[in-house]
Amino acid sequence: MNAGPVRAEHVAKHFGRTKALDGCSFSLPEGSVTGLVGPNGAGKSTLLSLIAGLAKPTSGEITVHGTAVRGRMHPDVALLTQKRPLYDQFTVREMMRAGAAMNDRWSDERANEVLDLLAGVDEDAKVGTLSAGARTQVAIAVALGRLPKVLLLDEPLSDLDPLARDETLRIVMTEVAERGTTVLLSSHLLTDLGDVCDHLLLLDEGRVQVSGDIEEILDEHHVVVGPAELELGVDGVVDSSRTARQATALVRGGTVPEGFQAARPDLEALVMGYLRASRTRRLARR
Amino acid sequence: MSQREQPVLAERLGKKYSRGWALRDCTLEIPAGRIVALVGPNGAGKSTLMGMTTGLLRPTEGRISVFGDAPTGRGMHPAVAFLTQAKPLYPQFTVTETLRYGRNANPGWDQAYAEELVEKARVPFAAKVGTLSGGQRTRVALALALGKRPRLLVLDEPLADLDPLARETVLTTLVRECRAQGITVLLSSHVLAELEDVCDHLVLLAGGRVRLAGDVSDLLRAHADHRTLSGLALAHMRVEVAA
Amino acid sequence: MTWIVWRQQRPVFITLVAGLVVSVAAVLLLRAGMVADLQAGDLAGCLPFGSECGIRAADGFQDTWFDRLRLAQGTVLAAPVLIGVFIGAPLFAREFEQGTHALAFTQSVGRTRWTVTKFLVAGLPALVVVGVYQLVVHSWLEAAGELGPLSASTFYFTSFDAQGVSPLAYTLFAYTLGMAAGALFKRTLVAMTVTLGLFIAARVLIGDVRESLVTPTRLITNDLDVNAVVPGRPLVVDAGFLDSGGAVVADPTPMMNCTDRADAQGGVDWSACFRENGLAQRYADIVPAGQATTLHLLEGSIFAGLAVLFVLGSTWAVRRQV
Repeated sequence: MNAGPVRAEHVAKHFGRTKALDGCSFSLPEGSVTGLVGPNGAGKSTLLSLIAGLAKPTSGEITVHGTAVRGRMHPDVALLTQKRPLYDQFTVREMMRAGAAMNDRWSDERANEVLDLLAGVDEDAKVGTLSAGARTQVAIAVALGRLPKVLLLDEPLSDLDPLARDETLRIVMTEVAERGTTVLLSSHLLTDLGDVCDHLLLLDEGRVQVSGDIEEILDEHHVVVGPAELELGVDGVVDSSRTARQATALVRGGTVPEGFQAARPDLEALVMGYLRASRTRRLARR
Repeated sequence: MSQREQPVLAERLGKKYSRGWALRDCTLEIPAGRIVALVGPNGAGKSTLMGMTTGLLRPTEGRISVFGDAPTGRGMHPAVAFLTQAKPLYPQFTVTETLRYGRNANPGWDQAYAEELVEKARVPFAAKVGTLSGGQRTRVALALALGKRPRLLVLDEPLADLDPLARETVLTTLVRECRAQGITVLLSSHVLAELEDVCDHLVLLAGGRVRLAGDVSDLLRAHADHRTLSGLALAHMRVEVAA
Repeated sequence: MTWIVWRQQRPVFITLVAGLVVSVAAVLLLRAGMVADLQAGDLAGCLPFGSECGIRAADGFQDTWFDRLRLAQGTVLAAPVLIGVFIGAPLFAREFEQGTHALAFTQSVGRTRWTVTKFLVAGLPALVVVGVYQLVVHSWLEAAGELGPLSASTFYFTSFDAQGVSPLAYTLFAYTLGMAAGALFKRTLVAMTVTLGLFIAARVLIGDVRESLVTPTRLITNDLDVNAVVPGRPLVVDAGFLDSGGAVVADPTPMMNCTDRADAQGGVDWSACFRENGLAQRYADIVPAGQATTLHLLEGSIFAGLAVLFVLGSTWAVRRQV
């Protein structure tokens, strides 16, 4: 069994008749920072909870560093869910103590390191009174105190102002740089992801649309622009749109259509192209 | 521009809560027909300012006038529409019923226009609001706000929780409708990058005070070391936090 | 993990202890006042059970104190449901409502250990508090002796339910019921309402069945006087008449004959009349007072058994959160 940090093979998760995930396979390289993107309802949160062991896949298998994950929190994985749950009545100090009490492997030193980062967090303040950014910092401290090898973050940047977002990303990047932790984070803020991620995992309707090294993926795609009257006539068109004057398309693969100008897309253009294609598919089905 | 045409005019506006001053010494003018970005760190006073513009909060000191009138607590100015982050819609109501609620609650309601907006968003009229996606709900809330035919539209983080595509769509719709009708927009958002192409006027709050205010092009010219709106705003927010 | 539950429950513990201290102080004060009244009225001779007493003095005393004593019994009866609704129901429901269960679930502590630790650490103090309060109230009731509510049968519900293991059994039941409701419904208000409703229903139903838990003893007497009290104040499950063959007389006719005759004649010698009509003996199926403890234990074990089911149910509900 290949001992990559995270490996998923044909993972599916059904809730009754709803297919939250429908056959996902991917592998995350050691020390990579992967951005998990996709429309709401694509299955991102579900996937993260499966990797953490919070839920069991209906079929398929997930392994973390060689050991299979089956419905029990994997000791090498830390998960920060979107609501960033903390005990609001506790002081920060007590919250750290709770983290130590709930985990077999815990490093006070590491947790406090994270708390001291940036402007530092007041250890005697009650968690419930902290600002959104400080709260996120405390939640990350709890997650990193577990000394995880894989860090999963579900929308860690939502509700944060630009400064707090910047700071949160810096904390994560420091962790990666110093410890080689593998990170998988989901976010809607593509510009932020573009700054920190080297890998991409794009989910839609429970399936993996794109996965791999960002540079390689961008190399593989073209944004083509041409006069409105021309047809595209090539394979691998992800999404296309037409205005009165021009036709634009996102194409995967090497061929550039006749009469079109091609350019390398940036991450935002790429992801938006896939999201638009997915929306078109969904609307057409109705 | 006469007072009656000036969407928002604030003079030394301030609001004090028991825990301290949320906004202090705020003097600014919001010019008509602009799309104004209201940015700043959490706790900088953005929601307070918006609350006073819409009459939901009363100033502790200073004055604020909206189209020449002082906002009272008796109801929102008929020319002002407010869309909060919570997008308060009744989940049990269908879209049709939501629009009817708008018609009953607002004089000067334009039913045809509101319906047109809902249709363009491809939201089914018979669906219960609680079953709609985040993006669809935002579009309905927007229809509710625009159906009032406001001259000033105030939006508090309207794009939070939306995926990138929904954000783009909502923002495009917003800009298109408002520019077409000359509606002044006051929009707060944490995602500066997407405000770049959209906003032509900036108000930056930090620590309860106005730090930057003006047309984007003027500001960028004046602070030449920043080439983008986000860069400029971020730098000023950082400075204030460090101070 | 113990520390975490304690810290989370700290406000509850403080309220429990404060409540206990205040209640015990109140009971002790009242008890002292009552004892003073007893001595002032020279009523010591009335205290032993079965003793006769100067009616007027005793009446005055009872006017003041009897209802208060009953009320105290009432508070012991109320304690279990309060614990169930205010400590049991929110135990898991709050965590799910506020989303903090996700915090515990994403650490290394297993879900079963989490559930069991919360159950024990939050529950034990509540049981102790109920037990202590029950004993203090009981000591007050005993001080009133024959003049207080204990003079009635020990099986009368206000007395029975407030004595022995019963309050603890009810508390354990209510607490685990609340816990399970919270784990299942994940909403505090819903859990509290369900706990209240199911607790009352269970107590009423099982209370009705109580009598059948023990096989009653049949006391037979030749004395046909219906007004004679069964000695020893047992729980009377059933009573009636036997004919000369020893069979139960189910037909009400003989008694009706006598009643008619009493109406016609303005009075009648009941015993003689009954004998004329074929009634030979009176019987009473009783549970003697000495068996009260057995009954407490039997009923208590029903509630305890249900409590075990609720604990298992809570663990299942928490683990199945996938």
